[in-house]
Amino acid sequence: MTITRQAAPAAPVATAKLGGPSDRKWAAIFVSPAVLIMTAFMLVPILLTLWISLHEWSMLTPIGDMTWRGLGNYADLIGDPAFRGSMRNTIVYVLLVVALTVPLAVLLGLLLYFPRVGGKGAVRTALFATYVIPTVAIAMVWGALYAPTYGPFDQILGWFGISGVGWLSSPSTALISLVIFHVWQMVGYYTVLVVAGLTQIPGDLYEVARVDGAGFWRQTVSITLPMLGRTMTFIVLVAVVNAVQVFDPIYILTQGGPAGSTDIVSFSIQRAAFQYGLAGQASAMAFSLFIVMIAVVAAIMAAMRRRR
Amino acid sequence: MTNAWRKMIARSGLRLLLALVLLVPVFPLAWMLLSSVKSPQELMQTPPSWWPEQPSLDAYRTVFEILPFGRAFGNSFLVAGVATLSVVVTSVLAGYAFAKYRFKGRDTLFWVLVGTMFLPPVVMLVPLYWLVSQLGLSDSYLGVMLPWLANGFGIFLMRQFIADVPDELIDAARLDGAGEARIVRTVVAPLVMPAVVTLSIFAFVFYWNNFLWPLSILQTTEKFPVVLMLSQLLSYSTSVQYQNVVMAGAAVASIPTIVLFLLTQRVFVAGIARTGVKG
Repeated sequence: MTITRQAAPAAPVATAKLGGPSDRKWAAIFVSPAVLIMTAFMLVPILLTLWISLHEWSMLTPIGDMTWRGLGNYADLIGDPAFRGSMRNTIVYVLLVVALTVPLAVLLGLLLYFPRVGGKGAVRTALFATYVIPTVAIAMVWGALYAPTYGPFDQILGWFGISGVGWLSSPSTALISLVIFHVWQMVGYYTVLVVAGLTQIPGDLYEVARVDGAGFWRQTVSITLPMLGRTMTFIVLVAVVNAVQVFDPIYILTQGGPAGSTDIVSFSIQRAAFQYGLAGQASAMAFSLFIVMIAVVAAIMAAMRRRR
Repeated sequence: MTNAWRKMIARSGLRLLLALVLLVPVFPLAWMLLSSVKSPQELMQTPPSWWPEQPSLDAYRTVFEILPFGRAFGNSFLVAGVATLSVVVTSVLAGYAFAKYRFKGRDTLFWVLVGTMFLPPVVMLVPLYWLVSQLGLSDSYLGVMLPWLANGFGIFLMRQFIADVPDELIDAARLDGAGEARIVRTVVAPLVMPAVVTLSIFAFVFYWNNFLWPLSILQTTEKFPVVLMLSQLLSYSTSVQYQNVVMAGAAVASIPTIVLFLLTQRVFVAGIARTGVKG
């Protein structure tokens, strides 16, 4: 694939449309930087993850020194209550995030799209700003908000006579506290996607409904929500992918604790590889996560196609 | 009259609702800024004060004293800047090829590349660390950037936008004797500037905020990007009297992406909208 400039197409325009040899050459030239980088650092690593997962290796020794374990790492994981716990936490986390995010984003989208009232722009900006801030930075802020007694959340609840919510410090509330933080940070992004979906709905549908005497809620149920189907499926997909790889808030706020209640697979992978020197086992977790992800994404995509 | 009244009540209700919604994203940000200017005494009193009684910027001075934050800013701008530039260039080129050329396996290749968007980086963490170390680049700036110099999102976004560029314009440039590289630079790129801006901001925000990879690959404090440096303050966050320092660090670390977003939000939000719903 040598690149020579003087071979640039003096070819007639028609070949460009038919996929002639000059097309193939330029396509190869233009596509190759991205393809090379992404093959080397995304596609090959996935295969390497599978390969390493079949071995025992600490990452401190050369890769040639790793010893074959076959499916041993996977068998260990299935028998390991800690890993089963982190899988369970991950599933709960993702489901809660999706269950809260989608309805909230739709409601906020309706609020920011339909009513003719000033100030919507400011709300949208503020909602989206949380998505842009470094998660590490804002997670530290939430650590202060959740702080027992000193924290403002406990103060506010105190006004209503509620006390002793453990937030991040109690095994029963730590995971849900992280879910709330995640939804808070991300919901503005999904709201923007909902608003974009709303702009795609043809206005005359509403015109007809209004003539038939349908009010706002009636229109929402029979026009808006059905027409938003594809947008919502897309949001579910992106929300799942974003929730599965949550790492920063766990590292900053809980380190998987208390009592493993916020131990999520992505956090366990990094810890196993870089703190415990168990690269083989970390890779087995990573590849399991990858397989589950593919299954979930494929299922959502299939649902999306059926809607079309 | 009653109708007008009802309208007014509905309108006030909506305004109130919007104000309440606005409070949700704003409160934690306001808390960050307010806490950062409180004194240690104020932070430790019970119940804690809400509004700082004697605001001071001491915490901002402290955070730059205990950590080489200025250096970290330089590191982050370098890494995020170079990586963003690379993502834009590779995405425009590939996006043009996928939108305007016909070649065998085009659609399959396109969807494989775009599919990597759904690949959590943590899944490739161990082999990436190994690969980058093998290249002798662990604990280096290049090592931090290298795996992320192209991405599926950028290719997808660019193809969507470049597909809308009329073929006639490209054909006309060809008839004028312009080479393909020149067409991309002088015809296509200017027409998809909004997308280039969107992608640049998205990429910059992603690299600026990226934590997992630098955490895994860097050892030397002097090379830490801002968010990694910020996480060094974690040990302080356990003691309430240092809360102002932690909050000051968080605020400083958030400034570049927030400012970038506020300056460009119109283009940015429109660009995101395009990623979601089309085709």
